Formats: sequence, C-alpha cells, structure tokens
Amino acid sequence: MPQVAHPAFLVMGAYATYVLAGYGVDPLLAGLLLMPVFFVFGLGVYQFYYSTFEGRGSDQGLRGIAFFFGVAFIVQVGLILVFGVDQQLVDASYIGTSVEFGEMRIPKRMLVAFGVALALTSALALYFSRTFTGRAIRAVAQDEGALRLMGADPVRIKRWAFGIATATCALAGALLIIVGPVDPNVDRLYIGRTFCVVVLGGLGSMSGTLVAGLILGIAESVVLTTAGTAWAPAVAFGILLVVLGVRPAGLFGR
Amino acid sequence: MALELTISGIDAAYGAVRALQGVSISVKDGETVALLGTNGNGKSTLMKCVMGIVRPSTGKIELKIENKNHDLTRLSTEEIVSLGVAMVPEGRRLFPKLTVEENLLLGAFRPQARPDIAKNLALCYETFDVLKQRRGQLAGSMSGGQQQMLAIARALMSSPKLLLVDEPSVGLSPLLVSNTITMIKQLKERHGLTVLMAEQNFHQAIRIADRGYLIVHGEIVFEGESVADLEANDLVKNYYLGTAG
Ligand SMILES: Nc1ncnc2c1ncn2[C@@H]1O[C@H](COP(=O)(O)OP(=O)(O)OP(=O)(O)O)[C@@H](O)[C@H]1O
Ligand SMILES: [Mg+2]
Repeated sequence: MPQVAHPAFLVMGAYATYVLAGYGVDPLLAGLLLMPVFFVFGLGVYQFYYSTFEGRGSDQGLRGIAFFFGVAFIVQVGLILVFGVDQQLVDASYIGTSVEFGEMRIPKRMLVAFGVALALTSALALYFSRTFTGRAIRAVAQDEGALRLMGADPVRIKRWAFGIATATCALAGALLIIVGPVDPNVDRLYIGRTFCVVVLGGLGSMSGTLVAGLILGIAESVVLTTAGTAWAPAVAFGILLVVLGVRPAGLFGR
Repeated sequence: MALELTISGIDAAYGAVRALQGVSISVKDGETVALLGTNGNGKSTLMKCVMGIVRPSTGKIELKIENKNHDLTRLSTEEIVSLGVAMVPEGRRLFPKLTVEENLLLGAFRPQARPDIAKNLALCYETFDVLKQRRGQLAGSMSGGQQQMLAIARALMSSPKLLLVDEPSVGLSPLLVSNTITMIKQLKERHGLTVLMAEQNFHQAIRIADRGYLIVHGEIVFEGESVADLEANDLVKNYYLGTAG
C-alpha cells in the first residue's frame, strides 16, 4: 500500500484544523468534522492514481511510489504558498493548562491528544478485525487474486483503505497542532519516529505499535533531560538502528 | 434443472502460449465431474476461465442457475462468485497472516452468504475439528493438510452452489489425500453441491467422480460417461496413468 503521501496529508490535516480554528471551531471538533472531507479526498486521490497508473499496469516498481511523492510534494508546496513557512498554532481551553498529579504536572493538551489517539487506534483496530471490509483491507495486501475469489473487488477495497487512512490524517493532524506548533515541514520531524515505532512494534501489530510508542516517548524524554534537546532527534534513529540489527521483526514480530 | 454449467468451444492463451483449444464440457446439477490430466495440460486454465480470471478468446461459458442464464465470459470474478460459484484454487491461496477464523469469515464476504455465517461456521468447525481448535492461529502457520482443509472450508463459507476444486491432493501425503477426497464427498452429499474437480491422482478422483473428462495439451481427448468408462479407456491408460497403465 502506498502510504508515502500520508505524512503530507497529516500536515494538511493540521493546517485544515488551523483554518477552522480561526473561525472559532474547537480543534478537536474540527478534526472530526474534517474526517469525512478527507475520506472523500482520499477516495479521489486513489481513483486518480488508479486511472492514471495502477489500472494501466504502470505502477510497477518506483513509479507508483513516485506518484505519491508527487502528491506529497504538491501538498507541501501548496501549504507553503498559502500559509508561508512560519509555525502556526491553535488555541483551546485544554491548551496551555495542565493537571497536577502530586509532584507531576502534565499538560492537558498531551492528555487530550493521548486519549483521542488511543480512542482512534482502538476504533481502527476494531474496524480491521470485526468488519468484512476491515478484514478485506488486511487481506488485500496479502493476496489480491485470492480476495477476488472471495467476491471482493480489490480495487474498491484499496480505494476504501486509502480513504480511511486519509480520514485518519485529519484527526491525527488536529492532534498534531494541539500538541505543538506546526509548519509545512513538520512531518520530517516525525519520519524518524514513525519508522522507529513501526519497526520496533512490528508492522501490522496495534498493541506492538502502542508499546513501541511508549518506549520511544520515555527514551526521548530521558535523553532530553540528561543530554539536552539537541540529542532528542537522534533517539529514534538510534533505536531504529539497534532494533534493525538485533531484532528485525520488531519486539512482537513472529 | 436448477443448475448447469456449459462450456462450449473455448480457446484460451497466455500471450503466445496456447493453453486451451476448442474445449467443451458440461457439469449438471448434483454431479461430481473430474477433470483429469497431467501437469501443464490446461486444467487450471479451464477453471480460471470459469471464474473469469482468464478470458477465453472464443467460445461460450454459460451458467444456468434457477432458470436464469448467465454468460460468465462477460462477468467479473466478483460477480461470478456472487452467483454462487466458489473455487478452491491451486496452491490454496489462503491469507497467511490472518487467523483461521478470519480466513473463514472472508469466505463469506459475498452479501448473499452473510446471513448464513453462523450456520456455515458451525458446520465447518463440525466437519473439520482441527480448524475449530486452531481458529485463532495464523493460517500460514498450519501444516499443508490443515491448510487444504481451511481452503475447502473457506470456499464452503460462501454457500456455493457450484464448487470448483483445483488439485486438492497436491503436496499432501497419501493418507491426507484420501481423507481430503472423502471430506469432499461428504460435503457434497450434505450440501447438495455440484462439483468440478481437477485432479492428477486418478485413483482418488474416481472415488468420488460420477464421470470425467481427460484433457491433453489443452484439448478434451476423452469424455467418460462413468468411472468404468474412464478406467476402460486406452487414452486414459496411455496418457494419464502413464507407466501404470
Ligand atoms: N500465467 C501463465 N503464463 C504463461 N503460461 C502459462 C501461465 N499459466 C499456465 N501457463 C501455461 O498454460 C498451460 C496450461 O497450464 P495449466 O496451469 O492450466 O495446467 P494444469 O493442467 O493446471 O497443470 P498443473 O497440473 O501443473 O496444475 C501450460 O503449458 C502452462 O505452462
Ligand atoms: Mg493446475
């Protein structure tokens, strides 16, 4: 599945949230409202990809990926042209305040983001394991021909999957801008973390992904407080290298 | 007659490789028809033509179901499955990273099969006890024989009226082959299925077949009206049983 464009869709989700927040909409609500819009947008992008590349059999090798890199590039340049390269942020009652647990002070925005991310992940996990379409989405990556023999159209399934992934970017983008300021290139910050979490947790394992995210988060804050902010981005890549060398299947890989 | 598959005069090719030439066969309601032939003679290609995976260049494939005629050469694979045709493909083609039960549930993807899921699942688990024990296990981690059972059970989850089985015995030990064939026979009797089965193992195939065809180099060279007919035929002895004949 070509997911190359989704980091850009994520940033786009953050900016769309920023725009709606400018009209006084709560950022979380904005993220939710944007989901159906992004879903339809995702269906459209996939359909365009299908009719120009995949359906003609010219998606082999790098050309399919190149299409999505192109889409990502256009989105990014578009965001720079419209909003400039400066950081943008949003405001809400839960941003800038914190809750105290005895000695600890936890920013409310982090709690909100954590809770919503957890809910979103659980909803997706349920969707992928309990619904016919969800199971078909997991199956389509394994054997398209066999899925066809089950009576499902692989193209429709892949288009739907792409729509769902894009809709997820809307809410995730809202969380991104709730957690901190966003600029058009913010996805670069997250690429190392994404790879790290995916490799550490093992591809396709929801619980593995959660645990891996926690491990990375703790490791980053330990390094942050002991070695200084400059070292924080190195943590993800460090873990990534070690895991690839020691246990390429990830913590929970079978 | 509630169901009848009629293939008449089809040619099929993979680029320059001609795989089928002027093939005509029929399968009638309640029958088990064996498609006999050694390696590379076109058995799988014929089945793929029925499923709409390979398109014949000429000829007709018609399926009569409940007094309606369907031209299968014009339908997509998904539409053919929706009519009630299921195939157990060569090499099983399970979803290795999904569990046994998830594979079975995908077998019931076609909307017409969904109301019967609970019933069909119970039946599959009753027939194949090992699948019930291993319902939460990944399909790819099971043995060859278990995977073959799962492939057959998955096809049955769609409540098919016509079942195509492509070489169920490949890669299995003689005992498992015998068990699998027995299983297909029982399923057929219970569900009132109509079966077209491709098989290289002549002796196993004739245990359940009512009649059969011999396919050599993409052409039907003999049509046996009964098992005795097939056993007595010189072509079958020469081409198919090879040295054994
Ligand atoms: N995808 C393909 N591309 C090119 N040629 C093919 C392809 N699939 C099959 N063939 C050729 O078509 C002919 C018939 O193959 P087919 O798979 O239908 O035979 P089969 O009777 O099912 O054989 P087997 O017992 O090995 O399964 C063979 O000559 C084979 O080499
Ligand atoms: Mg074959």
